[in-house]
Amino acid sequence: MKNSWTGGQAALATAGSVENLALAVHRSEPGAFERLIDRFEAPLFSYAESVLQNRFDAQEVVQDALLRAHRALTRQYDEARCEALALRPWLFRTVRNLSLNKRRSKRSKLEQPLDDFDDGRMGPFVHLEGSDLERKQEVELLRRAIALLPVDARELIVLRFMEEMSYGEIARTIGSSEAALRGKVFRSLKLLREALEKKGVNYAV
Amino acid sequence: MRCRSALTRVDALRTRELSQDERGEVESHLKTCKSCDDSLHDVGGLAAAIKALAIAPPRSCKDTLCREVVDSFDRVEAGGREVWVAFAEGGIRMITARSIDDLRARYAKRYGRDLQRAEIPAALKREVAAALAGEGVGKPHVDLGEASELETAVMRALGSIPVGEVRTYSWVAQQVGRPKAVRAVASFCARNVVPFVVPCHRVVPTGGGVGEYAYGSDMKRDLLAREGVDVDALDALAREGVRYVGSRTTKIYCFPTCRDARRIREENRVPFRGASEAAQKGFRPCQRCRPVAAA
Repeated sequence: MKNSWTGGQAALATAGSVENLALAVHRSEPGAFERLIDRFEAPLFSYAESVLQNRFDAQEVVQDALLRAHRALTRQYDEARCEALALRPWLFRTVRNLSLNKRRSKRSKLEQPLDDFDDGRMGPFVHLEGSDLERKQEVELLRRAIALLPVDARELIVLRFMEEMSYGEIARTIGSSEAALRGKVFRSLKLLREALEKKGVNYAV
Repeated sequence: MRCRSALTRVDALRTRELSQDERGEVESHLKTCKSCDDSLHDVGGLAAAIKALAIAPPRSCKDTLCREVVDSFDRVEAGGREVWVAFAEGGIRMITARSIDDLRARYAKRYGRDLQRAEIPAALKREVAAALAGEGVGKPHVDLGEASELETAVMRALGSIPVGEVRTYSWVAQQVGRPKAVRAVASFCARNVVPFVVPCHRVVPTGGGVGEYAYGSDMKRDLLAREGVDVDALDALAREGVRYVGSRTTKIYCFPTCRDARRIREENRVPFRGASEAAQKGFRPCQRCRPVAAA
């Protein structure tokens, strides 16, 4: 059997250090909030961008979410609650709620053709070590295929494979059971594979 | 186990998130089913490719956010006292005579922000220094953030007590339109986050005397004395049960420390134990210190 465990271990490795950050911010320890921003800004942005498909909105949402988080941790939650808080799912859930709110209000304002990705937004963000053109194109195809997925599949793919969350954490983030999530993630992956196959990419790596 | 249930568990197996039993079942299925085993590897590869797609925000919001959650503090020394003052663009936000740690802790609790040392603007510094020196501050630049309506009103009423005079807690309660909320008002005075500048020390118990103070009643006596209040005379009046004084010539009665009361000549001075006593004798309340408010 060919195995690939890296994702799980990475997810486990970050869990420990994250716990105390909520408490540190609650206690207003110097630099605690900066550390929280350093740790979470980029992942939260990736996630918000995947839901909103707009980096300006995504940045706005992330900023709002981090500010709300700071307020909640320092002013609303007591010591015990901060200590017991699962920070990562909590932050992602905040971003999720804000993103979905924003998406809803935007969509009601103007009917955005969300299935049209070819507007140059995807362009400047590709960071690749190798200059292998073929590989670059493949990555771009993957990005576009993900962008074409329905929003719930898209966010699951991002949470599970980009952010490498455990099923337990995803369950707490989006409010679902782990068993149901396994099925949902599987179906999202299936959709992604189908989209890739349509583009002529067989992800057999 | 059938392929369908094996496939939905392949990803969880990859990250060791299955229970012992489930894991055994899935693994034994994978041994017999080539396509499901391939799928496990496939998921692994796809996961790695997707992870590489993560993007960073075009510009970090760290600076903006940190500015949103950090305010400044400085030390101000005047009138033989030193205090720690927290301030933001809106004005003075908190003052303590205790320590930086006390300031930091209470500031975080009330405003949810950190503090870092910075030079206090000259205008704010003047206000704090004047308050400490007993000169009084006309209209201090104070920023209490999201203060409640009652707290804001209490602070405004406190600010309206002139230098060198004192009022009672019930007077403040009357001023804010909540005559029965004397206790609530008194607790806002006690929790005043900008003491000295907003003169909570100018409020005394209705029963007389100087009363309690966050930094001890000795400090309160000292502050009042600096502002020109005859603290010993207040004590003497309290012992006699005198709350107001009137003038025989004008038939007006005042708080004893009212600037108009202080001008009354000794031979024309009439002490009163209460507003009703004064009213019975045909006196009217002073319109400047408004003693009837504290009836």
